[in-house]
Amino acid sequence: MGAIDIINVTKSFGDTPVLKNINLNIKDGEFLILVGPSGCGKSTLMNTVAGLEDVTSGQINIAGRDVTNLSPKNRDIAMVFQSYALYPTMDVRRNISFGLEMRKVPKKERNQTVDRIADLLQISHLLDRKPSQLSGGQRQRVAMGRALARSPKVFLLDEPLSNLDAKLRVEMRMEIKKMHKRLGTTIIYVTHDQIEAMTLADRIAVLSEGIVQQFGTPYEIYNDPANRFVADFMGSPAMNFIECDIEDGRLIVETDGQDYKFEVPDRDVLQKSGLKRVVLGLRPEMITEAKPDQKRQFTQEISMLVEETEPMGADTMVTGLWNSTEIQGRVSPEAGHAAKLNDKHTLLHVDTSKAVFFHLETGERVR
Amino acid sequence: MSHTFANGFNAGRAFIYATLVFFALLYISPLYIILTTSFKDIEEIRSGNLLALPDEPTLYAWIKAWGSACTGSDCNGLAPFFWNSIRIVIPAVLISTIIGALNGYVLAQWRFRGSDMLFGALLFGCFIPFQVILLPMSILLGKMGLANTISGLVMVHVIYGIAFTTLFFRNYYVAIPSDLTKAAKLDGAGFFSIFTNVFLPMSTPIFVVTIIWQFTQIWNDFLFGVVYSGSGTQPITVALNNLVNTSVGGKEYNVDMAAAVIAALPTLLVYVVAGKYFVKGLTAGAVKG
Ligand SMILES: Nc1ncnc2c1ncn2[C@@H]1O[C@H](COP(=O)(O)OP(=O)(O)O)[C@@H](O)[C@H]1O
Ligand SMILES: [Mg+2]
Repeated sequence: MGAIDIINVTKSFGDTPVLKNINLNIKDGEFLILVGPSGCGKSTLMNTVAGLEDVTSGQINIAGRDVTNLSPKNRDIAMVFQSYALYPTMDVRRNISFGLEMRKVPKKERNQTVDRIADLLQISHLLDRKPSQLSGGQRQRVAMGRALARSPKVFLLDEPLSNLDAKLRVEMRMEIKKMHKRLGTTIIYVTHDQIEAMTLADRIAVLSEGIVQQFGTPYEIYNDPANRFVADFMGSPAMNFIECDIEDGRLIVETDGQDYKFEVPDRDVLQKSGLKRVVLGLRPEMITEAKPDQKRQFTQEISMLVEETEPMGADTMVTGLWNSTEIQGRVSPEAGHAAKLNDKHTLLHVDTSKAVFFHLETGERVR
Repeated sequence: MSHTFANGFNAGRAFIYATLVFFALLYISPLYIILTTSFKDIEEIRSGNLLALPDEPTLYAWIKAWGSACTGSDCNGLAPFFWNSIRIVIPAVLISTIIGALNGYVLAQWRFRGSDMLFGALLFGCFIPFQVILLPMSILLGKMGLANTISGLVMVHVIYGIAFTTLFFRNYYVAIPSDLTKAAKLDGAGFFSIFTNVFLPMSTPIFVVTIIWQFTQIWNDFLFGVVYSGSGTQPITVALNNLVNTSVGGKEYNVDMAAAVIAALPTLLVYVVAGKYFVKGLTAGAVKG
């Protein structure tokens, strides 16, 4: 049982508000990812859940119990730090068992736990080493081991993989996912890695300037962003944002010297909103090479002057101007190559079935 | 090529070494004179060459300086005062170091509102001249009934030393990431168990630095010793001064020299034994996990 309710939590350092009225209900066994730009308050939120920082106002419940005024050790929480924070003078065995030692678990039981966890994380051969004698990946495992040793109700992981190289990160990501499946413990996990967020999360909370911008499943966050900030922050390469005039519920886009009228599913919404101009949000993968045989509703063929091509392996990004704004499309490597040769005027296929709209000034969704 | 290089190298080196040896000799010559003189008898000192080695080395001066030389009206040598100094230095060093370690730990890892200001105020304590506190301190000691006692001197040295010991430990502990304390808190450790389990084991270098510093300061102290001690509680520095200034009959330079070496021996010893940690401790950066 490890549901977490964060209710109206506010945190200020002196006069500086860092968390502003945070509300999150995390279900028992859920894998919550916390994302947001650096300095937006992710670590502070983790620390308040752990009890390492007091909240200025609000309440935190764990497993239905109010823990707002409980000290960290009584919250039954384990945390993995970005810096790992291994005790430098203790060997790996004692690093893992220290929490048990402090909780007066008998030595024999402690050793059994350490052996079991070391086995699980494949660090049995490292138990007698000091942290300074370990590689980055091994330290990361020991930090995980220390968190696992106590079988807590909740795991907090603050950018646990950000100090690893790319390959190791992918490996550990899969292991963490497997571990969560097996243990079913509630996890709050901070990251700024898009892919980590999308692959691991049951739900994602997007934080900016101490405010939860959106709280939803990876699908909702990606396809139905609450505002321009979320749309921009999630997804790599980022979503295209194009200011367009609205005419009769259609969007006017000028590119390569030609005007196009884009049909969108939300035509009524646009008409009812009474707006004259709007920001169109369109992900790069919705702009692809021309597919003459795939004409459907909400698709359009346009000609674009490709100014730049950027091969990414599986796809090639093509850059052009729509309404004088730079946009990126995602085409096959062959189409990308052809675009470079073809005098740069390239036929593209635009799918507006998933287009979203934002208010010019506020960046909120037009719905 | 390598030949010419080697020649230039040697000439330069020779000059550097010659200079070094010259200054080393200059620095060590007083110690040489003190030591040789202390092993001579008084006849040889009067007649002989100051720089010569003793003709017939004798321990007479050492034995007298230790056991029977006159320091004022008593003639029991330096021995009683040596033990006075030991009885002052050991508790004063230990207490001020332990308090400094705890202070530094709190100021670096358990910040509270105003903790930086408190640290600033404590730092100010490093710059208070001895003379300024002489009078108020003696009034305080009198009121506490500690005037002219060993405990009184211990207290003065502890109070005066806390500013320095706190500074040393605070600056050492502030370089240790606060995540370590956070992790230990989550592991269920409290204020003291975090200190003893996490911080103490990594503190050897800074303990050595602090202990050497405090030991040298307190052992060599003269002013507090002369002001706050009574006739039976004087530290060795005060006794040395009295011994040199008391002349019954002619001046016995050999005894004075032996007494000076005896008074300086413990600090020398501390440097020889722990000196390499001292350098290590001063240069040690953050402990990286
Ligand atoms: N102990 C503190 N005192 C004052 N300001 C702090 C403290 N801890 C964090 N902050 C500030 O709070 C903001 C959020 O920090 P943090 O939660 O670490 O961000 P994130 O983890 O999202 O990068 C930052 O602007 C930071 O400067
Ligand atoms: Mg952070």
